[in-house]
Amino acid sequence: MSTVALRWATPLVTLVCMGLMLLIIMNRDISLLGLDVSSLQSFKIMFISLILEAFPFILLGVLASSLLQVFVSDKMIQRLTPKNPIGGILFGSLLGILFPLCECGMIPVVRRLIRKGMPAYIGIVFILAGPILNPIVYTSTYTAFRSQPQIAYSRMGLAFAVTVIIGLLLYRFMRRSPLKDAHVHHEYHNHDHDHHGHHPGHSHGTRSQHEHAYISSHHHPAHSDHHHHGTGQHSHDEHHRNGSTRRSRFASILAHASDEFFEMGKYLLFGALLTAFIQVSLSRETLIGIGDHPVLSNLFMMGFAFILSICSTSDAFVASSFSGTFNAGSLLAFLVFGAMIDLKNTLMLFSVFRARIVLWIIVLTFVLVLAGSYLFQYFFF
Amino acid sequence: MIFHYLIRGIILSGFAFLIVYLTKSDQLGLYIAPRMETYVKLSAVGLYAAAVYQFYLVFRTWSGSHVEPDCDCDHTPSPSIMKNTMIYGLFLLPLCLGFLLPNTVMGSTLAAKKGMSLNGSVNITRPAAGNTSGADQAAQISETPAGAGIYNGGSTPQSADEMFPSDVYTESYAAYAKKLYAQDSIEVTEKQFIETLTTLDLYRQPFLGKQVVLSGFVYREPEMSSSQFALSRFAMNCCSADALPYGLMVSYMQAEKYKDDAWLKITGTLELTQYNGNPVLQIKASGLENIPAPDSPYVYPDYDFGFDS
Repeated sequence: MSTVALRWATPLVTLVCMGLMLLIIMNRDISLLGLDVSSLQSFKIMFISLILEAFPFILLGVLASSLLQVFVSDKMIQRLTPKNPIGGILFGSLLGILFPLCECGMIPVVRRLIRKGMPAYIGIVFILAGPILNPIVYTSTYTAFRSQPQIAYSRMGLAFAVTVIIGLLLYRFMRRSPLKDAHVHHEYHNHDHDHHGHHPGHSHGTRSQHEHAYISSHHHPAHSDHHHHGTGQHSHDEHHRNGSTRRSRFASILAHASDEFFEMGKYLLFGALLTAFIQVSLSRETLIGIGDHPVLSNLFMMGFAFILSICSTSDAFVASSFSGTFNAGSLLAFLVFGAMIDLKNTLMLFSVFRARIVLWIIVLTFVLVLAGSYLFQYFFF
Repeated sequence: MIFHYLIRGIILSGFAFLIVYLTKSDQLGLYIAPRMETYVKLSAVGLYAAAVYQFYLVFRTWSGSHVEPDCDCDHTPSPSIMKNTMIYGLFLLPLCLGFLLPNTVMGSTLAAKKGMSLNGSVNITRPAAGNTSGADQAAQISETPAGAGIYNGGSTPQSADEMFPSDVYTESYAAYAKKLYAQDSIEVTEKQFIETLTTLDLYRQPFLGKQVVLSGFVYREPEMSSSQFALSRFAMNCCSADALPYGLMVSYMQAEKYKDDAWLKITGTLELTQYNGNPVLQIKASGLENIPAPDSPYVYPDYDFGFDS
């Protein structure tokens, strides 16, 4: 499903890009496309600012992911993650307090952790809860809603409740690894790595694979950085050849980081492109006109948050500008849903997780946040 | 493969240089709030390091000494030329836009899309009964503390505390309002732009007739009369995507003389008017002065507001 969408989306974007470039090169007035120059300028400001804003976070994310890949063994990850599902879910949802990362930085890290043997449901819980349950977001929400601090409390509370429920459901019902395995086949067809033959199926995250990894790391006690992906027979060879692991480790970090930057970056850019385009072409008045309805306002605000795709650290500021027109419950829906799921990160999720899981996560988050926001509205505001 | 390394190196260094270029030409502020700038500059360093590594790979591959580096390569480029063109095109588009199109300040066009706020930051519960608009009532939370005073129509309150009633949440605004009220002419500063407008709007009555000085760009909505426009600034929190325009309505007989997006410094007295069925504050302008667009056209929320005494 996602592959179909992506197959069509990419050519479409390219066409638009090429058209725009052509117009820039020919110095033609865009107004003949129904767009005027000032709209193009607005589009440029939005697009580039969204990208620049995300860069520090995505770079931090891919760097953290590469460091994990190179320096932390699977065994250690497996030992550190809680075995008990309740503990795991609490761990995943509160990890954001230690690592206040933006969602775009989180996805590469979580994928790496899942590949290294962290239970997938914990990773997904972290992706959902991390952008909200962290000190930076709490402070910014509290500051933006000075006069209604209960918005900040209920944002934290609802986010926590929603992620715990989703975590439990995933733990109970998710049987296969949620990661896309298309990549894995890919990887093995394209590389002539010698894998010692100890990764037959190589589907990540399944229990037998963990055992494999475990066994293999016993096979090679000397190589503490040996991962169950067969982390580069080459780098091992190089270690032996050069006798220095430091240089190849450094190179390995850079290689991982820049590859992952491109892999994540294309979804980020595509998301930013769409977001900028929507923000420039749809006016807020029109949107409010559609959504100004007592019951539908929650739904509307969630949709709006999805389209806006702004960082969870600054969305409270935007939400507060709506408080004249929307009730607290729909603002809460905006603040919780938008930080968990938005256009930009949905594309990134599709790139990493299987489409069916992503759709389930979106549907669950949507339903739970919607119900939760009505409940909070009824009981607390 | 060498082609991939090369184009990736070019893209990565392109982004690094875009950030450097925007910084050097003092234009980074058009996209990113100052508190984010350091991080963006640091990411330029990271991008540059990655670019250098890609060029190093180009060299190694070209000289034949390079062996495929790793490992967990789920990132092998697709063999399809079409797909690669598209992906790299997606990365090149913001670079082209960034380097080729002139940088502009957000103005009327975006303000119209984003929706102008003429009431300051409206999430403040106004402790008043008389002049609350329907929209504000929707924002009011049920538990308005009993301490919140109520204006009694026309009678002028005596003490400052009566004039600026506050509850636990609006204390900082009341304190600021007293400070503003003591001034002969209220200057809406860049540092506390949103806070000042919010305070003025929160306690409208005592400020009516007061002199205000405000600078910003001209913005018009179709509903405004020919002698009206809004003077506004974009307030940015993190990046342009979350920026929102805040402003005050201005009335001036020859308002038509001033074009959209013109920067003005206006002196005038505050009055109350009806706009779209809601009461809004308006400056009755007496002095208008064309000013050049400021170096930092945007304003930012003052995070220290209420914490300094």
